[in-house]
Amino acid sequence: MRRENTAAFLPALVVIGIYLLFSLGPVLWMVVSSLKDRQELFSWPPSLIFTPDVSSYAAVFGLGDSSQSAASIGLVGALFTSIIVSVCGTALAVGFGVLAGYAASRFAFPGRNDFMFFVLSTRMIPPVAVLVFYHYMFSRLGLTDTIPGLVLVTTFINLGLATWIMKGFFDGVPQEVENVALVNGYTRLYAFWHLVLPMVRGGMAATAGFCFIFAWNEFTFSSVLATTKATTLPVKISSAMGATGIEWAQICAAGVVLVLPVVVFFWLIRKYLLMGMTFGVLGGSRT
Amino acid sequence: MANARRQVPRAMPDGLVCGLFLAPSLAVLSLMVVYPFLSLLYYSTLRFSVLRPAQGSESVGMLNYTSLLTDDAIWDRFIFTGQFVLATVVVQFVIGIAVAYAFTRDFKGRDLLFTLALLPMMLCPIVVGFLWRYMFNSEWGVINYLISLFGIGKVDWLGVADNALWAVVIADAWMWTPFVILLATAAFRGIPKDIQESADIDGASPAYRFFRITLPLSAPILLIAFLLRLIDAFKQSDLFLAMTGGGPGSETETVSFRLGKIAFSYFYTGDASALAVILLVIIIGLSMILVRHLNRVKDQR
Repeated sequence: MRRENTAAFLPALVVIGIYLLFSLGPVLWMVVSSLKDRQELFSWPPSLIFTPDVSSYAAVFGLGDSSQSAASIGLVGALFTSIIVSVCGTALAVGFGVLAGYAASRFAFPGRNDFMFFVLSTRMIPPVAVLVFYHYMFSRLGLTDTIPGLVLVTTFINLGLATWIMKGFFDGVPQEVENVALVNGYTRLYAFWHLVLPMVRGGMAATAGFCFIFAWNEFTFSSVLATTKATTLPVKISSAMGATGIEWAQICAAGVVLVLPVVVFFWLIRKYLLMGMTFGVLGGSRT
Repeated sequence: MANARRQVPRAMPDGLVCGLFLAPSLAVLSLMVVYPFLSLLYYSTLRFSVLRPAQGSESVGMLNYTSLLTDDAIWDRFIFTGQFVLATVVVQFVIGIAVAYAFTRDFKGRDLLFTLALLPMMLCPIVVGFLWRYMFNSEWGVINYLISLFGIGKVDWLGVADNALWAVVIADAWMWTPFVILLATAAFRGIPKDIQESADIDGASPAYRFFRITLPLSAPILLIAFLLRLIDAFKQSDLFLAMTGGGPGSETETVSFRLGKIAFSYFYTGDASALAVILLVIIIGLSMILVRHLNRVKDQR
């Protein structure tokens, strides 16, 4: 082990410090602005010290006086839709990604590289390019404005990333694990389920973390395919730019509320985050 | 190895397992990629609007394509999108790689700082757009306040096309630099310790170590990061929608944004399909070049 002194850290800490100012500044400003009332929002110079006003949060959840006013976003119903859609979409994307990632890691089937490229197309496609058609397809299949329709979309947008990350994790598990099991008379499915899967549990957590971000924050598809009955949080928030002007404080409050579950999720999976992001391309086994 | 496996009887042949494991993904891909793409190809040769299906459709051959490709306004959108992609990806990579390199050091509280550094990418894009629009406001925005401390007057960030481009680049880079940091840090830490140590013993300078050892060895992951960021920047439209609404005029519309307008404001389904096909061909073409390059880099290792 190489021991480093503080002087060696200093440049690194300065770089990280400056970056964090840039990256956390706007986040702090979002939190500050979410607590401002109308007067404080538009004051010049912008104020940092003021009497906090939580009415925006009340409005976001449709509580208190503001629940009567038209300006309130009222997120409770959308929160329910968002949770169901994100959790189901993430679970399906991770499940399908685990299966496809395992197949791509272990079996040299014809067109394997093409499959890996093809599956990444789920991330390449600009939403608006296919939305023209989804709009039409969804209404014919009766999926418009339904939770199953949104689950299908969130599964689709994450499938590529999930397959790529999971393949990287399976590449890190030595082939010998299954070989030993097969020699001892166990089936491949048994080896996959009872031996290999437990070894990539961390990888599944990391994959779920990423899929959850994109599912939870998905806006473009939902804003066209589900606008009245099955609205998700981001779509609901965008409706805050209504006739009365943009409700800045409510948007900021909604932003704070929206990001909290993601932050908690990421803190829980922080150990596995970095392992997953090498996609198995840095050589065979991971250290 | 394959022979040893074949001697053992088991419930299901590997080929079948492989097929079953790929089936769900292939089903989703067929429904959500292949089917729409083929339909888009078909619609792109029609004069057709989903608003008026009763009026029927008329086959116009390649007319939608030729009219799009001879339209200067569309080329302007491609040029604008190109400027945006180039600017935001370069900014993200310069900052991202520098910060990631700093995070390869071991120090107390690193995990906490690292999680904090990732915070922007966890936010909802539409909220990020509005947040930056609020901060970039020329009258009471905090950014104009901060630059006024340096004696610079109020800048009209979102009302002038050139400024608005940079405002959205800043917002986009702010949100997605964390993704580059994440992948680059994973790549840098994945480099075997003994290689680093032997460079130390040989007395290699820090600059030499970074440019001749760290960067080349992490090239595959940096390429994947580049591919993903390039694609995402190319299809960015949420931020423009929230920050500028495409304005002033239509000067800050990306190709994606314009496509959304043709499809869902004007409902020219035929034209929209043709533009969608062009956009998909460009993105898939770019990705193929990068993935091929990635495979070559991987094979060299």
